[in-house]
Amino acid sequence: MISRSVASWLLGALVLIAFAVLAAPGTSYSNQDRDLPLAASSMRHPAGTDALGRDRMVRVSAALLLSLAGATLAAAATTLAAAAVGALSAFSPALLGGLIILVCDVFLALPWLFLLLMVRSALPLTTSPAHSAVVTFLVLAALGWPACARAVYRGAVHLRDAEWMLQARAAGLRGHQIAHHIMPNLYPLLLPQFLISIPAFVIAEANLGALGLGIGEPLPSWGGMLFELDNSAMLVSTGWVYLPIALLIVVLLLIESIAAEVY
Amino acid sequence: MRLHSLQAYFVLILLAATCASSCAGQAEPRLPGELVWTIGYDPKTFDPAKVDDQESELVRYLTAGVLLRFNRSTQKVEPRLAESWSLSPDGRTVIFKLRPGLQFSDRTSLTAKDAAWSIRRVLLPATAAPVAEEFLASASVTVDTPDPRTVIVHLPQRVIGIEKVFDEIAIEPAERPSEGRVTAGPFVLADYRRSQYVRLGRNPCYYRRDNGGAALPYASGVRLDVLDNHEQEIRLFQRGEYDLIDSLPPDYFGLLKQKTPNAVRDLGPSLNTEQMWFNQSAAAQLPLWEKAWFQNQAFRVAVSRAIHRADLARIAYQGHATPAYSFISPANSTWYNGTISVPHEDVAAARMLLKGAGFHLNGALLQDASGHPVKFSILTNAGNAARQKMATLIQEDLKSLGMEVTVVALDFPALIERLMHTQDYEACLLGLENVDPDPNAMMNVWLSSSPNHQWNPSEKTPATKWEAEIDRAMNLQATSLKDAERKQAVDQVQQIVADQQPFIYLVYPNILFAVSPRLQGVDPARLEPNLVWDAESLRLAGAR
Repeated sequence: MISRSVASWLLGALVLIAFAVLAAPGTSYSNQDRDLPLAASSMRHPAGTDALGRDRMVRVSAALLLSLAGATLAAAATTLAAAAVGALSAFSPALLGGLIILVCDVFLALPWLFLLLMVRSALPLTTSPAHSAVVTFLVLAALGWPACARAVYRGAVHLRDAEWMLQARAAGLRGHQIAHHIMPNLYPLLLPQFLISIPAFVIAEANLGALGLGIGEPLPSWGGMLFELDNSAMLVSTGWVYLPIALLIVVLLLIESIAAEVY
Repeated sequence: MRLHSLQAYFVLILLAATCASSCAGQAEPRLPGELVWTIGYDPKTFDPAKVDDQESELVRYLTAGVLLRFNRSTQKVEPRLAESWSLSPDGRTVIFKLRPGLQFSDRTSLTAKDAAWSIRRVLLPATAAPVAEEFLASASVTVDTPDPRTVIVHLPQRVIGIEKVFDEIAIEPAERPSEGRVTAGPFVLADYRRSQYVRLGRNPCYYRRDNGGAALPYASGVRLDVLDNHEQEIRLFQRGEYDLIDSLPPDYFGLLKQKTPNAVRDLGPSLNTEQMWFNQSAAAQLPLWEKAWFQNQAFRVAVSRAIHRADLARIAYQGHATPAYSFISPANSTWYNGTISVPHEDVAAARMLLKGAGFHLNGALLQDASGHPVKFSILTNAGNAARQKMATLIQEDLKSLGMEVTVVALDFPALIERLMHTQDYEACLLGLENVDPDPNAMMNVWLSSSPNHQWNPSEKTPATKWEAEIDRAMNLQATSLKDAERKQAVDQVQQIVADQQPFIYLVYPNILFAVSPRLQGVDPARLEPNLVWDAESLRLAGAR
């Protein structure tokens, strides 16, 4: 396993390289070099082009940033929602707390993939690619919180029953004063939840994209690019077609390495 | 952590898909002398009178005994169960004389009574046979059998190409419809396993012989594997499990050509077209300004002129398509007219047209006279790589006019629901398969009253003058007794369509196929079923 600091540096380096590729003058993820579809590696297109003549390096870089940014924001939203719901259920009266956890359990029992498909396919046809990206990650965040909330609830219950908490109550601390001490104590639980949500959302977006329900063209996404691997004719055309999947695996490994050490 | 359950879920799906894929990769063992190829889905029906889908039609083609057969290669009508036939000068009476000694596959005799019963059955409203529509006024058609070998069909009005209609009517034993299990055609339905295969056996009583007197068909049977996966189909073809691949996707053509150059062939442009159109339906739930754009001729022509069709053919079809400007393909030499004036690519002219129609650029975005930004979506069906590539290329082409286009790929049932029922779409990119070179077969597309008049279905009266003119010309070609007059009417329709661009034609896909070197007797045709239209003459090398 790569150490956390090495993984963080490598991930940072990848993000910086992606920014640098996109910042180069004249680059655009949607530019079609129609004279060079499925071109091999060259000075002009270091990682070749896709079937529509679009630069693979630029598209992979854009997909990396988009996916990481979207998944990170979705993970943050999920973690915050889970923290609020988990803590609220633990510190509420038993009946209300039980009801909140029951709602979480109902959400957990729902078939994720089909819900994602349903929500995504219900979007208006004119949804722009950028909006479809936002909605995709919002949907992932909206459906991802219950599992995380269940974990937070267990942690918050331990916290509620801790001796220092009883002592604080006995000393006359009020609710809002106690709340100040809850979040810092939940932090060691929330950070790994946040970190492992990121690769989960990256994969979920890739799966939706591979099913044709992810981020719309011409915006690049992992799912859209992995869709190419479905076609063996494409696989033998150039080795660069494997770049997105190779980079995706590297990114997931790096994030998992960071998350594993936080655990 | 429970979010891991999402990853586990996807891993499970992947594993299940891999297992399913490897299990499906094992084809059923082949019987001696049996031909094997694939169909994309299960036939919806085996009742030859109710055929309404491509795969059911193939099964009917291979099993049905018909009075006349439309030869897909020569494009002439030939006698089959009928020894001869004649059409009265007014075109309203068809007389068939059956061959002597005909038998069904169960060795019972086939007489005029069976033929008349089969024709009457497809005409009955209760049967709901799609072929009945081709008689125009099916309720008034009568059938007589003056003797056991003569069948007379009386039509209330002349029908262009009436002979070809009898190519679609299977003659079945009177009062004993068997859904293809008792036929007078070359094969009979022997076995069917849903989602696996349809097995056809050789009809031992089939009347046809080759020039040497050997009984046809040569093959002992046909197995049609239900498989909607080109990857597997190609792998199994390369392993020798399948004898042919009809409609080879362009992506795979090059791949197969590299490995087995003699197995693949490009027959040139097909009769089929790929086109896009805008929703002009009055019933569509679209904003009024969008309807106004789509009903504006200048808008449609400008879009047409901004599309680089040569790029579509070269990139989306890897060169295996021909740019299209009309509904008649150059492959249809009788009806194609190369002198039609069409709006060729010219982005500057397109911008001028839009300017003249009140559109203007606001920054990089086009706006109409009221300031509404020109944004719309193009629907196409998911799973068709060439169409999705074309839509993305068009998206980029239209950006040069300042139009913001969203490409949406939907699964086919969802797409059809929007097109045919809810009218909830803005533009659509799809293809049209033409099985008959005669434009009369496209009446259901061009008549404004037709539900298949895609840009504005089922109009009570033609919404525009040019649609009324198309109706008039199509009706003229459907009833005229003079070939020259018919040709002139069809040319006129082609010119109106080129001027108005209700359908913006994009490409004519080429006919691509692969044939195993073991398969003999293949004579590819431009008309469907391209490779197996003469299935009776197909056989495997070395098979008895």
